[in-house]
Amino acid sequence: MTAMADPSALEFDQVTFGYGRLPVLREASLRIAEGEFVAVVGPNGSGKTTLMRLGLGLLQPSHGVVRLFGADVSRFRDRWRLGYVPQRASAATSLPVSVAEVVRTGLAGQLRPGRRGTRRHRERLEHVLDLMGLTAVRRQRLSELSGGQQQRALIARALVTGPRLLVLDEPTTGVDAEARAILRESLEHLVTVEGIAVVYVSHDPEGFAGMADRVVEVRAGRLVRVDPQAPAPTSQSV
Amino acid sequence: MEILQFGFMQRALVAATVIAAVAPLVGAFIVQRGQSLIGDGMGHMAFAGVGLAFLVGLNPLVGALALTAVAAVALARLTRVGVGGDLSLALIFYGGIAAGFFFSSRAGGGQNQVLSFLFGSPLNLGWDEVAAVTALAGAVVVIVIALYPQLVALAFDEAAARVAGVPTQGLVLALTVVVALVVVAGMSSIGLLLISAMMVIPVATAAQVTASYRATLLLASAIGAASAVIGLLVAFYANAPTGAAIVLVALGAYCATALTRLLARGLQRAAS
Repeated sequence: MTAMADPSALEFDQVTFGYGRLPVLREASLRIAEGEFVAVVGPNGSGKTTLMRLGLGLLQPSHGVVRLFGADVSRFRDRWRLGYVPQRASAATSLPVSVAEVVRTGLAGQLRPGRRGTRRHRERLEHVLDLMGLTAVRRQRLSELSGGQQQRALIARALVTGPRLLVLDEPTTGVDAEARAILRESLEHLVTVEGIAVVYVSHDPEGFAGMADRVVEVRAGRLVRVDPQAPAPTSQSV
Repeated sequence: MEILQFGFMQRALVAATVIAAVAPLVGAFIVQRGQSLIGDGMGHMAFAGVGLAFLVGLNPLVGALALTAVAAVALARLTRVGVGGDLSLALIFYGGIAAGFFFSSRAGGGQNQVLSFLFGSPLNLGWDEVAAVTALAGAVVVIVIALYPQLVALAFDEAAARVAGVPTQGLVLALTVVVALVVVAGMSSIGLLLISAMMVIPVATAAQVTASYRATLLLASAIGAASAVIGLLVAFYANAPTGAAIVLVALGAYCATALTRLLARGLQRAAS
């Protein structure tokens, strides 16, 4: 780990990435501080999901460095500090899985083989189920819930370790208005009360309107800063 | 029951029931990961291992274990270097059956014995073989229990599991090795070509009526064990092949469950 005085939650330093010869990101630089809410926007295929996957260590940059809490992402070990909410399509399962089981899988990286969760783990599980309003449906099949409830189950899974950085990928896709309102309320609580850094990847600005400290657009493989209050994007360095 | 007076039936019941109860515990993870046919690939490689064992004078169990272990590692490597899951499985599948047939042909007198492993012959098992099958099945249960939280995370969402710190690459390899252990443990009682069915069918049956992963695993295991007992009885009284009878009973349970659900839904609709 690289020790830093005041490390960012997530930092991209001159990151370049491509699939084969096809460049997707070029010299992207971005710092996200703890407690900051950053929205990443861009049309489909612009590279915003690639940016997110690089940030989570699911892809390795061809050039440049990605740091999580000051450490190179490839050597980052404190995985409990990360929460990842994939697109809801990943909740489609072949087999039945209950809400509590889905949320519990968020703890799997913290458990040693042969060990079950501690009392603290169980308390965290109860806490996030309550926080996301899922206690009453904890034993239900995930596939039987509404789109909004499924989304909240995926968020609860991401929060169960008590992360300091939450990354959400298109969290409002296929979610009704009521669920969007609950999601918005939950995110505001996480940022303002718990001080969690949030990266919100979406093509839909309505989902984060009024909440984002910064909006970053991925445009032709480069990052441009957008004023969250501005109606149209303006190109600035990020 | 009179058939329990026969030692060969006692041994067949123990071996087939143990492996049919354990196979769905592994099957639940491969079905969720969309790899229902991986057991077939391992079965064909085990066939090559049995053929090789007869050719060089080894215990068939050792030959099957050795080649399926090689196949498990090769499958994980091929997938990692970008040979898609479907294609890498096909390479293992066809390589296994070709090598198996080649080795068994060269084994001369052993050819018939090699072929008996394809469809299983539990009535010919000795207690030492039953003990070996039980030990392998026990090892599978221990591994599944020890890695249960990580395996569920991997099966449900591999990317999220990796972000959460689950060592997914090692876990995928471990799961493939466990599949290989089930195939080897089941080859003498249910058969190399049919054992993968017992990993998948009881899981598909249980999934129709359960609400959780854990309940699916436990019910599928019970369905597997019951299919083995009923299948053996059917085979005994109808003078039918045992492995086929066990799998057909499991398939019958799946169809009966699906039909019952359809009927129940129809009645519900009619009532409302």
